[in-house]
Amino acid sequence: MGGVTLQGPEITRLVHHMAECPDDFLASPRQGKSGIVYVDAVVSDIVCLLGGSPLGFPEGKPFRIRGANNRNYLRIVLVSCWLLYYKWFRQQQRFAKAAFEWLANGFNGLEKLISAELFVTDPDRREELARLCLSALDLRPMGETEHQAADRLKTLDSVERARVIERSKKRQERARRIREAMRREQAVQAAARYSRE
Amino acid sequence: MPRSFLKLNPLMKEAGYRLLKRIRQHPKAPAWNFVPGDHVTIEDLKSVEEFRRQVFSQEPRRATAPPPSILSWVRSMVKRSWAFERRIPRGFDIEGDWAHIPTMSREDIATKIEEVVPADEDLDRLIVYDTSGTTGHALLVPHHPGTVAMNHALVEYVLDRYNALGSFSAPDVACINACAQVNTYVFTNVFSVWRDAGFVKLNLHPRDWKNPPFDARDFFTDFPPAFITADPITFAEMIRWNIPVRPSAMLSTAVELSPGLKKTVEEHFKCPVIDWYSTTETGPVAFASPDGAGMEFMSPDIYVEIVDREGYPLPDGELGEITITGGRNPYLPLLRYRTGDSARIRTIDIPGQESVSRLFDLTGREVVFYRATDGSLVNPVDIGRIMRLTCPFVQHQFIQRKDGSCLVLVRPAPNVPTDSEGIETALRSLFGSTADIEVRITPDLGDELPGGKTVTFKSELDLHPESRD
Repeated sequence: MGGVTLQGPEITRLVHHMAECPDDFLASPRQGKSGIVYVDAVVSDIVCLLGGSPLGFPEGKPFRIRGANNRNYLRIVLVSCWLLYYKWFRQQQRFAKAAFEWLANGFNGLEKLISAELFVTDPDRREELARLCLSALDLRPMGETEHQAADRLKTLDSVERARVIERSKKRQERARRIREAMRREQAVQAAARYSRE
Repeated sequence: MPRSFLKLNPLMKEAGYRLLKRIRQHPKAPAWNFVPGDHVTIEDLKSVEEFRRQVFSQEPRRATAPPPSILSWVRSMVKRSWAFERRIPRGFDIEGDWAHIPTMSREDIATKIEEVVPADEDLDRLIVYDTSGTTGHALLVPHHPGTVAMNHALVEYVLDRYNALGSFSAPDVACINACAQVNTYVFTNVFSVWRDAGFVKLNLHPRDWKNPPFDARDFFTDFPPAFITADPITFAEMIRWNIPVRPSAMLSTAVELSPGLKKTVEEHFKCPVIDWYSTTETGPVAFASPDGAGMEFMSPDIYVEIVDREGYPLPDGELGEITITGGRNPYLPLLRYRTGDSARIRTIDIPGQESVSRLFDLTGREVVFYRATDGSLVNPVDIGRIMRLTCPFVQHQFIQRKDGSCLVLVRPAPNVPTDSEGIETALRSLFGSTADIEVRITPDLGDELPGGKTVTFKSELDLHPESRD
């Protein structure tokens, strides 16, 4: 992210495409012996459709991770693969590498905050994922300046909002502790000093 | 040595304890009403030692801009204090744009203290001072015992400048802090910083002594202090009470010391009376120079500037508000903190030295005092405290006329009834049951003044130290 971005598709069309996400992309990811969809295979297909080569076994490792904690991450990967299936991306035939990196590394803790289906059912979350995707591919929505695109993404950014909320909670807790300490110490009274000031 | 004493004074030795006991149990001692400690640790003593080195090796102030040490300190505080972070956004040129850094004020301490206290500072050593509210607006100030201990190095420096510095240790009394109020803490302690030398805070009010003023005289005789700290009103009372004491120096604190009273007190007690400017929030700032040319700055870790109403630094010689950055109180880092006091900084030539900057024309500490119907002193501190205990209000103005009658104007708090009768009754407990006191509700009090802040205490009485008996 960062640097000069190129114009991508219209955001409204991308968001509409997200709303039409087939149920298959919301199916349970294969983890070990459970689940249905082989996420590594879906990612490999998308990478090929975007102009890249099929993933080797080691490259597919991030999409085969086990554990309940990783389940939501894999589900968001699937939903993102539907997003990347949008015709405009496939027509460019140059986003394979950036798309793979985004899917493998790019959610920045989002998977801990938002459940995958909300990226299909909730309008703001659809837009958030769409904008995160464009940003990862060094693109901005058609008709927007870089500043407008960055601004709008910041407004929707769930990770940033969670960070702000967490920071705010910590500050409030600290403030409470300071006020409590001062109340308590006022009752106990202060140390002797050699003059009134 | 009882454990309770060691809890308050962790480093107290046997000699200090014996002194403390002797003072507390003296037959002529005042009515003690408080038992504090100095709460000083070994680590605090190390900080004192280091600060002492800095204080005694400092150069006279010449800076017209914050020195590198202050700028570096401010930068470190941006990462730790939200109050600093809010005022200095990323990319701000602290040195180049110093004048544009928003100032801090008492309101920050009163209403947003949690933003000032560094976010990562351990709160375990926190203590609290309730400021005297001499000007009528008291404040709770977070403090640290180590900071209080470090301030001892400053009084040593000043006494040394007057060739009045002795050595302090038990069984001697280093200092008596005298007051003249209706109510105040009265206590004794020993200071670890000064090898358990004694300290007494006492009050020259008849209520605090079995046999005033004679007991007070005997007490001072048996525990002669090396130096005394008090406000000018109290110095006048010391003369009135005929207190027999010959300290090496007297530090005049809290309010303005007039040249006339200074001369009277110096001639009476035969020692220098040193005007001392300090606030609870900032610590000691400046003292009257022994060469008579203004006040010298004494704290190497604070930067003092004079600013206009908008907070912009004023040129050399112009009168404005004293504003302070820095300090050694880990719970109260100050960034362009407006003290509410006015002065000018002027650069002057000192024979044999480079030119130096000193403080002149310090104002905002007007001496105001009152008398009860029995002639005893009533201090503005007593009035402010008792009124605030009675009921909430926005601000007040208290005036005692030449005939002794008192008028109290009170601006009520919105939607909160003001208990005028309660205020009158409370004030009678200070002034006497037959005192002429009128309480008047004044909703627009202060509206016509800049900032809406009225002069809280006014008096038409003369401060005249005739003898008490």
